[in-house]
Amino acid sequence: MTTLDPTRRYFSPEIETKPRAEIERQRDERLLGDLLPWAYERSALIRETWDAAGVRPDDLRSIDDFREQAPFIDKDAIRAFRDRHHDPYGGLLCLDPDDGGLKNVFSAIFSTSGMTGDPTPAPYAGRGPSFLVREFWELGCRPGDHFLHCLFTFRGPGIHDTVRGVGATPVFVDHQPEDVPQLFRFSRELRPTGWYTLSGPLLMMIEAAAAETGEDLEETFRSYSGVVFAGEPIGPRARARVESWGLELFIQTSLGDVGAATECRQHDGCHYWEDTAFIEHLAPDGVTPAGDGQRGELVSTTLIDKIAPLVRYRSDDIVRRTTEPCACGRTHGRIWPLGRKGDEVVVDGVSVLPGDVWGAIESIPETEAGLFQVVRDRREMDALRLRVGYATPGPRGLSDLSARVADAVHEAVGLEPVVELVEHDVLLRQGPPHKIPRVTQG
Amino acid sequence: MVSFAARFEDPPLVWGVGRVTVDDEVVPWPVSSADVDDEAESLAPRLAALGLGDGGLVLLVSLLSQAIHVVPFEQAAGRLGARYSSADATPFDAFRTVALTRQLTPAVVLGIDSRVCDGIEGLGRGLGDVFVSVGAVVAADADAARRLASAGLPVARWLRLGPTSAVSTPTDDALVYDDARWRVDEEDGALLLTNLVPRLTGCERFRTGVRGRVLGPGRLALER
Repeated sequence: MTTLDPTRRYFSPEIETKPRAEIERQRDERLLGDLLPWAYERSALIRETWDAAGVRPDDLRSIDDFREQAPFIDKDAIRAFRDRHHDPYGGLLCLDPDDGGLKNVFSAIFSTSGMTGDPTPAPYAGRGPSFLVREFWELGCRPGDHFLHCLFTFRGPGIHDTVRGVGATPVFVDHQPEDVPQLFRFSRELRPTGWYTLSGPLLMMIEAAAAETGEDLEETFRSYSGVVFAGEPIGPRARARVESWGLELFIQTSLGDVGAATECRQHDGCHYWEDTAFIEHLAPDGVTPAGDGQRGELVSTTLIDKIAPLVRYRSDDIVRRTTEPCACGRTHGRIWPLGRKGDEVVVDGVSVLPGDVWGAIESIPETEAGLFQVVRDRREMDALRLRVGYATPGPRGLSDLSARVADAVHEAVGLEPVVELVEHDVLLRQGPPHKIPRVTQG
Repeated sequence: MVSFAARFEDPPLVWGVGRVTVDDEVVPWPVSSADVDDEAESLAPRLAALGLGDGGLVLLVSLLSQAIHVVPFEQAAGRLGARYSSADATPFDAFRTVALTRQLTPAVVLGIDSRVCDGIEGLGRGLGDVFVSVGAVVAADADAARRLASAGLPVARWLRLGPTSAVSTPTDDALVYDDARWRVDEEDGALLLTNLVPRLTGCERFRTGVRGRVLGPGRLALER
């Protein structure tokens, strides 16, 4: 056993600061030489998709060949395969579940959040700590520390194994309103340094509990050196509120279902790890690569998951992306999440994503929790329709509140919205607990 | 397969801080990695008695705060050559229990409580319909046990007894615990727990908050 030196700047310095040319050389080697032949040989969905496109891994000699010829898959393709073949893994599984020799490798089956339909089973290979050790180290978590593990169960042991990977001890707390008193208590008694995760709904629960009990949040939370905020974007009001408690937030976003991307201490984009995934982002035509720093759809290919590999997976997530080195010294790519392609509505030629109205809704005291949904039956809509959660009707009642929300949104996006007000609980019931669907059908 | 830290370079002495709840009071409960491994070894026969075996799957419905009780079941499944899957024991996540039961056809579903039952029924689904193909549905509280049994399902019970677990089967109401590792004493109907093998957090006649009777070695009944 070695001892981790708590003063080292990065958890894996040789990987995190690798020169770009070396990152790309290793990527090409893993993708073209290993992952693609493996996936084509074993994954029924990948083989079916590539055969239909008339492409074989042997045809691809370079990353440019991959960009030009490799076919895409998306969530609908996986679900369609699942339904067509009664295969819960959607044709992605590369191992024979009945192979006795793999029992210690393929030990569990987790699932996606299920925000956009049925949760998709995700086969899990017990691997110990995940690459998030790099992020937990960046939060400031060190051997001997306590670490607040505040999540749910359906993602498996990856997070608590990763906490131990930096030598810290996980403290288990539910991401539920009923457990906020224990979150306060363990924060005071055990003085954790890291916290994974905080979300918009949990933030609301903390505020409500503190208002009721008089909890001094700045004192309660004073030991944390970093808190990962995940699930969905955070609005400016919520961010300011959390920072007033002395917490430094590290935004984390999904990396097209092949991992996660997380801010560093520079807070200038979310780092993803190019030794684990090949990330593309595509211009609105859906084919051409978007330029560095431009907005585009995130397309992911795993470089390491040989159990159920996603290859050229269209995530529906709109991001800005760069591969310029970060001021923190790391050299891997960064993304800025902007919204989901399927969440966009266009009204009178104006494109609106949930993030465009978030700040306006947060600016009204009664709706400052930022719980809202865009009502979207199709991309092109006659009017911007919003379902907005409120804490109280306000001093002059719901019609006045509705008018104030509408005015704020109009000022933000130049469109007069149709506002339907509902109590917070109506939206929170649509969890999973760390986020709500931001788009709903009428 | 790539592993990032490759191994636990500097593993903590304490595997995790979980909790034991006694009469609504939460007692923080640190456990070691050896404790978790030993509990897994101890619980494997409980899962086998429910019908989980080689190649099977158990769906564990729980909360993260129950980790010191649930992770040993996860590892116990592996000792039987089985796999596990997970869903949250909340009304909001009941859709996951429904979906995974349909998609993965588990042999055993463990941890259904009254809130999950509420969630399933809130989706317009009947308990009997959702779990019709499951060999054993293990309830985490009395209300869930009653509702599942009313739906005609093969119901067992899971009891968190201090830091360990006791489990019944659909054909035997007795809650079985590992009497080689734990001693349970009865005092005026209250069950007291003592560890017989080393544990990071020891207990000596620990008041579990559970009321019941010791039926015989390793067998309990709850007070009705």
